[in-house]
Amino acid sequence: MIASLRPTLLFPVTRTSTEANRTGSWRFVRPVYRFKTAPCSAACPAGIDIPTVEMLASRGQLYDAWAHICRENPFPAVCGRVCFHPCENACNRAELDASIAINALERYIGDAGLMAHSPLAAPEVAPLQRRVAIVGAGPAGLAAGYFLTQLGIAAEIFESSEEPGGVLRWGIPSYRLPKSVLAAEIARIEKAGVGIHCGRAITPDALNELAARYDAVLVGAGLAATLRLNISGEASIVDGLAFLRDVQTGSAPVVSGEVAVIGGGNTAIDVARTLLRQGARPTIVYRRRRQDMPAFGHEIAAAEAEGVRIVELMAPVSVAADGDGVRLEVQPMTAAEVGSDGRVRAVPAKQPPQTLRFNRVFSGIGAEVAEPWHRPGDEADTIRLSHCVIRCAPHAMGYIGDPVTAENSVAHAIGSGKQAAIALHALFTGGPEAVLPAVERCRVGPGPALSLEIYLNGERSHRTSRMVTFADINTDYFSRAARCVIPALAPAAAAAGFQEAVTTLRPREALAEAARCFNCGICNDCDNCRIFCPEQTILVDAGGRRSVDLDYCKGCGICTVECPRCAMDMEEESA
Amino acid sequence: MSEPINADRGLTYPGNLGCPGCGASIAINHALKGLGEKTVLVIPASCFAIMAGPYPMTALKVPILHTAFATAAVTAAGVRAGLDMQGDNETTVVAWAGDGGTFDIGIQSLSGAAERNDDIIFVCYDNEAYMNTGVQRSSATPYGTRTTTTPGTGWKRTRKKNIMEIMAAHRIPYAATANIAFPDDFIRKFTKARETRGGTRFIHVFSSCPTGWGVASSLAIKIARLATRTNIFPLYEIENGTDWTLNMEGDLPVGDYLGLQGRFRHLSPEDLEQIQREVEANLALIQERVAATRVRRAHLKLEA
Repeated sequence: MIASLRPTLLFPVTRTSTEANRTGSWRFVRPVYRFKTAPCSAACPAGIDIPTVEMLASRGQLYDAWAHICRENPFPAVCGRVCFHPCENACNRAELDASIAINALERYIGDAGLMAHSPLAAPEVAPLQRRVAIVGAGPAGLAAGYFLTQLGIAAEIFESSEEPGGVLRWGIPSYRLPKSVLAAEIARIEKAGVGIHCGRAITPDALNELAARYDAVLVGAGLAATLRLNISGEASIVDGLAFLRDVQTGSAPVVSGEVAVIGGGNTAIDVARTLLRQGARPTIVYRRRRQDMPAFGHEIAAAEAEGVRIVELMAPVSVAADGDGVRLEVQPMTAAEVGSDGRVRAVPAKQPPQTLRFNRVFSGIGAEVAEPWHRPGDEADTIRLSHCVIRCAPHAMGYIGDPVTAENSVAHAIGSGKQAAIALHALFTGGPEAVLPAVERCRVGPGPALSLEIYLNGERSHRTSRMVTFADINTDYFSRAARCVIPALAPAAAAAGFQEAVTTLRPREALAEAARCFNCGICNDCDNCRIFCPEQTILVDAGGRRSVDLDYCKGCGICTVECPRCAMDMEEESA
Repeated sequence: MSEPINADRGLTYPGNLGCPGCGASIAINHALKGLGEKTVLVIPASCFAIMAGPYPMTALKVPILHTAFATAAVTAAGVRAGLDMQGDNETTVVAWAGDGGTFDIGIQSLSGAAERNDDIIFVCYDNEAYMNTGVQRSSATPYGTRTTTTPGTGWKRTRKKNIMEIMAAHRIPYAATANIAFPDDFIRKFTKARETRGGTRFIHVFSSCPTGWGVASSLAIKIARLATRTNIFPLYEIENGTDWTLNMEGDLPVGDYLGLQGRFRHLSPEDLEQIQREVEANLALIQERVAATRVRRAHLKLEA
C-alpha cells in the first residue's frame, strides 16, 4: 500500500514502517508470563489443579475439567461428597466476598464424569515392567494403585473384605456417600488396569510371600480396630465403627430412644447421625469443649441441625448395665491450658460425677491399626515422607494411609497413595537416592501436597511455587457475586432416612460458581495483556499460549498490572 | 512452543515513538478495531503526529494525512470531498487530534465542519495538556492541575472546557465519550460512529499520559479506569445533540483518582472536596438530560 503511491505527488510520502524502530531497546524491565501456585491447590492434600479445573468448568468444558481432576485424584464424585475441603479455607476470593464452593463443584464435575461413563485416561509413560502389591483397598490403596498404573507400574490390591472401598464403604454412611457412587469410581480404577482381589486377608506370612513375588509391597490396611476407652464396664459399650459397618451390611439391630455416643471426631458424628436415622435420639458426650472437637465443622453443624444433641466437657468414668439400658457415669470437666498437642486440655472440674441413663452407649473415639505390622517399624533404610513411609531394603515396602498420615482424611489418603506411587517410581528408576528429590520436585507450592502432573513434567511443572495472595489479584476485574447455595434436604427430611443429605449443584449454578473463581496464577485467556498493550507486542501461538515480542516491548508494565490473576511478572533486564 | 502468530497486530506497526504506557497508542489500537481498514486518518500537530511516524515512516496500515495544528477538521472534510468525487463512499475519514488540536487551536475548523455537518469522524484523544511540547496547559487541563505553565502554587484554577456540550450545541448526529480502559464500550462507539454516515461525529477519548501526569507507565489503564469510576470522565453518548445516554455510573470518590497522580499531589482535602462537588454537579446535569431524553421519547411514542 505504501510503496504503490505515485512519486509525482507534490508532498512527501512515507515509504517505510516504524518496524525499523526496535523500541525494545528502551526497556529496562521486561514482562514475563510466569504462572504461579493458587493457594487452594497447595492446600488440597491431593494437589488438584483447582484454578484450571474451575476455568474449564466455567467454560462448560466439563469433560476436560473432570479429566483434569482425575490427573491428581481418581475420586472426584467421592471427594466432592466427603472431603473436608481445606481448599475453600485458602481461597483468595473469601477476601472479596466468599470462597468458591470448590467441593460442591468437584461433586458436580465428578457426577458429570460418572453420568458420561468416562474412562480414566491411559498412562502417558512407557510400562516399567514392575509389579507392586497393595494390602488394603481403602482410599489410599486404591489411589496408590491408580497412580502406579499412571506411572507404568502394574498394581494389584489385596482386600480382606468382600468388597473394596475400606472406610469409604464401611465407615462413611450412605447419606453422605451413596454406595453406587463409590462403586462406580472404584470400577473405573479397576478398568484402568488396577487388579483388585477381594476376600484375600493378608497375614504376616502372606505379606512375606507378596514381598518375594512383587517388586514392592504397599501396606494400606487403615485403622481397623476401635480404640478402647479404658473405663470400667466397657463391655456394655457398642463399638461405633462396627456399628457403622453393620448398618451397611444390614445386620445392625435397630436402636431407639435415648442413646449416647462418646467421642468428638467424625466417627462420633457419623454414628450419631446414623442412630438418628434409625429413629433414636442421640447425644454426643465429649470430654473437651465443642470447639475442640476434631470432627469437621460442617459435619458438626449438620448433625446439630438434624437434632443430635452435644454435651461438652463430660468425661465418661464408667458404664454399667441398668435393666434394659445403660448407666453412664460422667465427670464434669473444665478447660485447662494448651497441651503438648497444641489443643486445650480438659481437666476434672470441682464437681461430683453425674449419672446419665441411656438405652445404649456407643463409642466413636477413633481407631488404631488392627495388626502391629500395619504400621512401619523403625528399621534402617526407611524413608519417612510427609504422607507415607518407604523402606528400600531388603524388599521395597511402603506404608500408606491413616496409619502414617498426620491427618486422617480421604484427601490425605489419596495424597498418601500418590506420594508412595511417585516414591516407588523414583526408587525403581533411580534408586533410594532418587526418592527424596523426586518428592521434593513435584510439590504444589510449598507443599506438602504433590502433583503427578508436575512429576510427569506436565504444564504445571512450569509454574513457580510462589502462592498468589489476595493482594496480587486485580480486583478491578471482579465484582461481588453471591456464592452458590449448596442444595440440601431440610434437616428434618434428611434425618428421616438414608438418602443423601446434600445434593448436586444444578448446571446453571455450577457454571456461575465456577466463573466466580479468580483462576489465581494461571492464564485463562482473558486477553487483557494483548488488548491493553500499547505496542501490540503480545503474540499468541496456535495453542493459545502468549509471549511478548521483546523487539518492540517498551517495558511499560501495563500487561502485568492489568493481568487480573498474577500470571505475569516484571523482571529487570540484565545489563 | 509453536511459532507465534503475528496476524493480530491489527492495523498498526510496532515501533512507534510514543512513551512507554502511552494512552494514545492504546486508543488508536482500540479505535482501528472499530473503524476497520477502509479508513483515512488526518492528523494535526500532536504527540500522535510523531507517533504515527516521523517522515519517512508510518506506524499505521491505513493512510494518514498530516496537517497543520488548526486544520484537522477542515482537512478531513476536504479528503471526504475528494473521496466523494472519486465515487468512494465506503472509506471513513477520521480526524485524530489531541486536546490542543481540538479544544484550543483546532476549535474553529472543528466548529465549522460541525456546523456544515461534514461527513467525518472527529476524534479528540485528550491527555489534558500539550504533552508533545512539554506539558503546557490547554483548555482541556482540569482544575487543580500542575503543568509547566501552571507550576507550583500557580496550579490551574479554571475548569476544563466542556467540549461535549459545545459539540452537542452543533446538533451533530453523534457525539460520545470513550475511555481506553473500557475497550468494549470504546470499540462499540467507534463502530457506531463509522456506521452513522452523512454528518459530523465526535468522539472524546480519555487517554492517559503517564509522562505528563506523574504516574507510573504500568498504571496507565488503572488511572484511566479510575477517571470513569470516580465520574470525573463519565461515559455517555449524545445523539442529534439532544438525546443523552449515560453508559455507566462510577462508585468511587475523586481522591482515588487524583491521589495517584503527581500533577494533583499538592491538592488539599478542601480542594478535593470542591472537585468532588463539581464532579457530582456535572454528573447530575448529565443525568437530568438523560431523564429529559426519556420523557421526550415517551411523549413522542404517545403521540405516535
